[in-house]
Amino acid sequence: MSRFLLQRVALLIPTLLGVLAITFLLLYVAPGDPVQAMVGERADPETLARLRAELRLDDPLHLQFAHYVSGVVRGDLGTSYITRRPILQDLLQRFPATLRLAGAAMLFAAVLGITIGIYGAWRPGSWPDRVSAFGAYLGVSFPVYWVGLILILVFAVNFRWLPPSGSGGGLAYLVLPALTLGMRSVAFLSRMTRAAMQEVLQSDFVRTARAKGLKETRVVLAHGFRNALLPVVTVLGLDFGSYLTGSILTETIFSWPGVGRYVLTAIDKRDLPAIQGSILFLSMVFVLVNLITDILYARVDPRVAYD
Amino acid sequence: MRRILLATLLALPSCADQGGGATLNYYFTYDPRSLDPALSTDVPTGEVVSLLFDNLTQFDADAQLIPGLARAWDTDPSGQRYTFHLRTGATFHDGRPIKAADVRASLLRALAPGVTGGRSWPLYPIRGARAYAAGESKGVDGISVPDDSTVILTLEEPLNIFPKLLAMPVAAIVPTPVTADFDQQPVGSGPWKFVSWSHDDAILLARNERYWQGQPQADSLRIRIIPEPLTQAAEYEAGQLSVVEVPVGETRRWEQTHADELQRRPGLKALYVAINTTRGPLKDLRVRRALNHAVDVPTLLTTAFAGRGVPAAGALPPGLAGYDSTRSPYRYDPAEARRLLAEAGYPKGFSLRLWRTQRAELARLAQSIQQGLGEVGIRAEIVERDASSARAAVRNGEADLFLTDWWADYPDPENFNYPLFHSRNKGPGGNYAFLADRMLDSMIVRARATTDEAEKTSLARAIDARVFELAPWIFLWFPVDIWAAQPDVQGWRFPLVFTGQRWLEVKRTQ
Repeated sequence: MSRFLLQRVALLIPTLLGVLAITFLLLYVAPGDPVQAMVGERADPETLARLRAELRLDDPLHLQFAHYVSGVVRGDLGTSYITRRPILQDLLQRFPATLRLAGAAMLFAAVLGITIGIYGAWRPGSWPDRVSAFGAYLGVSFPVYWVGLILILVFAVNFRWLPPSGSGGGLAYLVLPALTLGMRSVAFLSRMTRAAMQEVLQSDFVRTARAKGLKETRVVLAHGFRNALLPVVTVLGLDFGSYLTGSILTETIFSWPGVGRYVLTAIDKRDLPAIQGSILFLSMVFVLVNLITDILYARVDPRVAYD
Repeated sequence: MRRILLATLLALPSCADQGGGATLNYYFTYDPRSLDPALSTDVPTGEVVSLLFDNLTQFDADAQLIPGLARAWDTDPSGQRYTFHLRTGATFHDGRPIKAADVRASLLRALAPGVTGGRSWPLYPIRGARAYAAGESKGVDGISVPDDSTVILTLEEPLNIFPKLLAMPVAAIVPTPVTADFDQQPVGSGPWKFVSWSHDDAILLARNERYWQGQPQADSLRIRIIPEPLTQAAEYEAGQLSVVEVPVGETRRWEQTHADELQRRPGLKALYVAINTTRGPLKDLRVRRALNHAVDVPTLLTTAFAGRGVPAAGALPPGLAGYDSTRSPYRYDPAEARRLLAEAGYPKGFSLRLWRTQRAELARLAQSIQQGLGEVGIRAEIVERDASSARAAVRNGEADLFLTDWWADYPDPENFNYPLFHSRNKGPGGNYAFLADRMLDSMIVRARATTDEAEKTSLARAIDARVFELAPWIFLWFPVDIWAAQPDVQGWRFPLVFTGQRWLEVKRTQ
């Protein structure tokens, strides 16, 4: 197990280095001028030239890259061109909000998706199973943007049960964005769980368990579900990773102050160090979540660690 | 699709309930860059700076220039030397009285090369300011402070708009030396005091009880950051915002359901397509006029913008001196456009590229313009880029046409004529048409310098007529802003200039 872990951690370093190099190069060749985005309208050429020099944008590419990498190695993601604040500080300030939203969405998706999936596999063809199949179809088809706005209109504007947007601090603010964000995962998880469970429930050991006279709930949950966990963990891990790296649409619709909006603003303002820093930070989060998923895999199915 | 859904789902009556307490709720579309006036390059920063700080001069909601920290000012006959008399009794939020030395220190700080705000141009007219900002001199000899309540500013050359430039956020007076976290925890002297700022979420301000103009009517002002226009509208409908700008797609419905709450007036802005007058066939005046005849502006305005605009027959919007309501726009006339193209030697038309940013409301507009041009034989390819990339290309002269708009920084025809059409401002300065017309240049320079208001207005009118004649733009329209204020919110008028509403007189009656 520890060798497995070491291998995985060692793989992180080239991954992150690759991310670093690719983002740097892509932004370098992308059109647009960060200095012009900084100063807004009515810029005079002297100011533009002065700022460009101050930000070392006139340096050759390799020097700019070396300067950037040396900062990153020291744990410094640089300073935003626009806000003049350290990027890492900006990201860390926003990350708890993203974590809160991702956690809530995941919890909602896991509880609902797995329950629906298990029920569907246990009673295939029943009316709840058919309704949930249709629901899952809708869940993956409707765009997040649309669902978010509809939820706001129904629950915040018409019924006034929940606040339309913002983070406020209270749990009430979390409900609509978490539902919106988690919806697709509910759909995927329910189908994935159902398929995996159906396969398991038809296997010999389940038949044996039933023949022993075990209670049906014990057969389904303890014997069935445990063995169907692997694909479920995969979906949970992947979705959680992508939620943690910023859900730009959900955060925008619900004015949620997370990292997704930070990245979006950085791109819009052509804030190069903020874009690079965010991508690096978020890649780190993503690979860490993947690592945790891998470890969970190995726990769920010890054969994985020996492959 | 969105509109239909909103219309059906919001058809139920909504009663505004903003909860108790005298807090006003406002919003920005994005997080301010900073709360430091020296870094105010964007609208949210400028707006919040105008609430937290004072300038020597300021604008009211109708864009009239009124005294700020300077109770009065006078100009010498040359129009080059301005003397500002400060009011007594004004203090910073920490209780320190504001003196002339603070004005001097604030202006120097905004200009200082180390601040790298990039937006200190409103102060460049002061003698020696530009060299100081470039790091070429140690001081600015155009600023002098004879006593605690007098500031004399001497300019490089006469400039009648200068008192208006001093009302810009970058010229706000700050208590120097400022603290290290000044951009996050500012101390100003304005009607509102800083309380807290949660990035991308909300800014909370409390009223300044000792404000020299009298304390604001409300206890506090909460400014939420809400990027999505439909969410802004929903927040208003749920009673969580005191005021809101009505989204374009919602105009028709709100005109029926919120008629009593709406305020509409033409903003000081223009929507246009800049024609690069230095590129290929576009150098020919006849071709540029043909482009204007090829676009059906009135229909576009109705279909794509819910009629929220006044068709443009020039670049100066209604509300500015020099606007000529009697001049007719280029009429939609494809036959005339084809005739002009043939006369210019392009009977079969030609190809060009129409650039636009990713702003959603411009997408449909660009397509309609493309279609109009196509009907007279001009094959326009639409190039869509993020704002900074598009702007960079346009400023470098790489774009044939650029669909964009211009918002006034300060209410004066000069703010349109000089940046948008003077040859000195080609490219980065704002003249995206790369227009260089000697007659226009000389009129613009004269209009900037004169101390005679009547002459200034007649020059502005003549400049606008000349601009219209030269057709450096496809003239579209002057957008009309529509805002709604909750029935229990009193005293709020939406400002013509973004710094013109300081929320002093605004209160809630429930």
